[in-house]
Amino acid sequence: MGDVQNRFPYAVLLLAIAAASLPGCSSKPPIDDGMLVIAFPGAPSGIDPRLATDAYGTQILQMTHASLIRMDAAGNPVPDLAERWEERSPTEIVFHLREGLRFHDGKGLSSADVRYTFAWILDPANRSPHRATYGTIRAIDAPDPRTVIFHLSEPSAPFLAGMVRGIVPIGSRAAGYSPPIGAGPYRVDDFRQDSEIRLSRFDGYFGTPPAIERVVVKFLPDSNVRFLELAKGSVNFVLNGVDPDLIPAALENRNLVMEEAAGSNASYLGFNLRDPVLSEPLVRRAIACAIDRESIVRSLWKGHADLADSILAPCFWAHADGIPEVRFDPDAARRLLDSAGYRDPDGDGPKPRFRLTYKTSQNELRKQIAAVIQEQLHRVGIDLEVQSFEWGTFFSDIRKGNFQLYSLTWVNIQDPDIFYYAFHSGQVPPGGANRGGYRNPEVDRLVEKGRREPSRGKRKEIYRKVQLLLARDLPVFPLWISRNILVRDRRLEGFEITPGEDYTSVKEMTVRREKGAGR
Amino acid sequence: MTGYLLSRLRQMVPVVFGVVTVVFLLIHLIPGDPVEIMLGESALAAQKEELRRELRLDRPVVVQYGEFLLGLAKGDLGTSFRSREPVLREILRRVPATLLLSVASMVFALLIAVPLGVLSAMRQHSPVDHLCGFLAMLGLSMPNFWLGPLLILIFSIGLGLFPVSGYGTAGHLVLPALTMGTGMAAILMRMLRSSLLEEIRQDYVRAACARGLSRRDAVLRHALANSLIPVLTVMGLQFGALLSGSIITETIFSWPGIGRLTVQAIEARDYPLVQGCILFIALCTVTVNLVTDLLYSRLDPRIRYE
Repeated sequence: MGDVQNRFPYAVLLLAIAAASLPGCSSKPPIDDGMLVIAFPGAPSGIDPRLATDAYGTQILQMTHASLIRMDAAGNPVPDLAERWEERSPTEIVFHLREGLRFHDGKGLSSADVRYTFAWILDPANRSPHRATYGTIRAIDAPDPRTVIFHLSEPSAPFLAGMVRGIVPIGSRAAGYSPPIGAGPYRVDDFRQDSEIRLSRFDGYFGTPPAIERVVVKFLPDSNVRFLELAKGSVNFVLNGVDPDLIPAALENRNLVMEEAAGSNASYLGFNLRDPVLSEPLVRRAIACAIDRESIVRSLWKGHADLADSILAPCFWAHADGIPEVRFDPDAARRLLDSAGYRDPDGDGPKPRFRLTYKTSQNELRKQIAAVIQEQLHRVGIDLEVQSFEWGTFFSDIRKGNFQLYSLTWVNIQDPDIFYYAFHSGQVPPGGANRGGYRNPEVDRLVEKGRREPSRGKRKEIYRKVQLLLARDLPVFPLWISRNILVRDRRLEGFEITPGEDYTSVKEMTVRREKGAGR
Repeated sequence: MTGYLLSRLRQMVPVVFGVVTVVFLLIHLIPGDPVEIMLGESALAAQKEELRRELRLDRPVVVQYGEFLLGLAKGDLGTSFRSREPVLREILRRVPATLLLSVASMVFALLIAVPLGVLSAMRQHSPVDHLCGFLAMLGLSMPNFWLGPLLILIFSIGLGLFPVSGYGTAGHLVLPALTMGTGMAAILMRMLRSSLLEEIRQDYVRAACARGLSRRDAVLRHALANSLIPVLTVMGLQFGALLSGSIITETIFSWPGIGRLTVQAIEARDYPLVQGCILFIALCTVTVNLVTDLLYSRLDPRIRYE
């Protein structure tokens, strides 16, 4: 009896844990219930379209909030809430809303809501990070419920790209984790910060209502766990979240398939042009020639990246054709360094021509890439010290110009005006993103002209010249553009992978019914 | 006892104050501008200055520190830069998940450590003792970033018993608790074994056996309670660490605890939230240590607090 009494509490506890666990795990994968379960590699800091800046928040907003326009895969504007728009003058743009638009609560969406959304962002008291994007808006009129007129202080070609912004109802308060309602194809049912967000189909959506009724987005920061969730079937859709190393193992599961498409996130090597060594264009070109990008793409990216010749992806409308390629040529790199006056002091001996530091984040892949670049530069006589920092410290150093070489990625480029922001001599931080301190009067003139030019054809020509000048001067060396990789359950169909990792087409997805489907 | 309690509570104040001060200075010293992180690179310099003024970040660090202490005295931990929510609400939102995981991990550790520790001590140098020693070494040697995925592979993928990750049902709790509790179980088991071995050799145990009590009963009824004091000390320290969260386990299992919140706050340079989280962690640690000290007298009536 004494034994039984001693063991009883343990037995009860173990049984309780085991029994309580059962409701938490259904053996039936969610796809069998027609549920789409997406895994994100991180959690959004918020999902208010007026405030969200991170990629995860933006991607959720593509499912929950509708904007005046959207951008297609090539960066062309297409209608969303606005059925059409017109430019009455370079400083007056009129949007005509569709008829019968509704928010998730059933109330009508009108031009007053559009005006409210942008006025809220422009109000300094609201501290919106997007305020600078709309700096050229002078006034917004809503003459009737279906017409919105934007008055600009000056012509602004990137203005239209800024109209991809979720519209919220008048009076929506910016309340931390309680997202304001929208008019997108899915409504938010439950948002658990750092855990998951649950969405359900909005039947009052102005377009064709989505075929998939319920969507769950899980925030899974650990790449192994994302892979394991896919393997178990508790996640059935991962875009750019499976490590290249794990993809072959994921595909061993007969229910999973992989799709791959061109991406737009361009990684580059940044040079500090204020540095006496790196201010010499021959040195920058020598470094570019010394880096074997193809082998890095092959070995570290497992082939899931394309070599870049610009920070714009080739599929983007403003990308220039015919940019001279920088080929891997260590001999040419050595010759360039010799002609720049940096001769190797002891030939094949241990002494370097000069030493540089290379800063990167603590991302494992970035650190591996840094190590390979270190070895490749060593072969041409450049001693590279790699320093990896926590993101906040790393980015702060880059912003302050406290670096020689660094590597970063441009993501989600919506307009070629990025060239103004990243290379105009007046855009040196803290005002802009010309982190290397590049100065070229011709580039300045062109990027200023490009942002005022309304004609897309003329803008394309302007930015072609800019890209050629940048390819000549190499203030940054474009490395590669990672490809978008989707691993999904084979029964999920209809998703279009866009270069910008857009989730807009989730609403087009369907679940194919199969007899005897299972794991 | 009340006097002792008050004196310990008084001692807690400078400890917590010291921790909060050091963290305040460190977070302001490390590079990274919260305004730039909030507004992004593209914001105009005037906007950044405006926000800096609004968040009172344009003032000298000493003034900011004074304001922080003043707020603290009023029970106001400020507002998170990132989420715009009151810091206290942010922390309280994570407390249930953190408490749940900490308690479950501790319960699991004790369920393993107590029987195996006792068994190991009672059968010293036997194969059972060697096996327990081996298991303890194994538990200590397995890092959580490895053990977590391994448990997922076995119990979620292989056996389909538990969800892979997430939070919300009891099933979600099991694997993170096992991950966090395994190392702790190993420490407590070895601690209990060595402490119990010392007690078993005491005269009172021998006397109890001489009076006809079985060795097993003598150990369980008399020696075990006396051997728990060092175990309790380690338990207190471990539980304090559990409450401060484990970033690795929370990341693997997408567990919305204090550890992840703290790291996210540091990455975003969300000064009020970092300070709030550290304050919470410091308070938990000193409180658990106090409770541990108070429990000593329950275990050993000879210990009196005057």
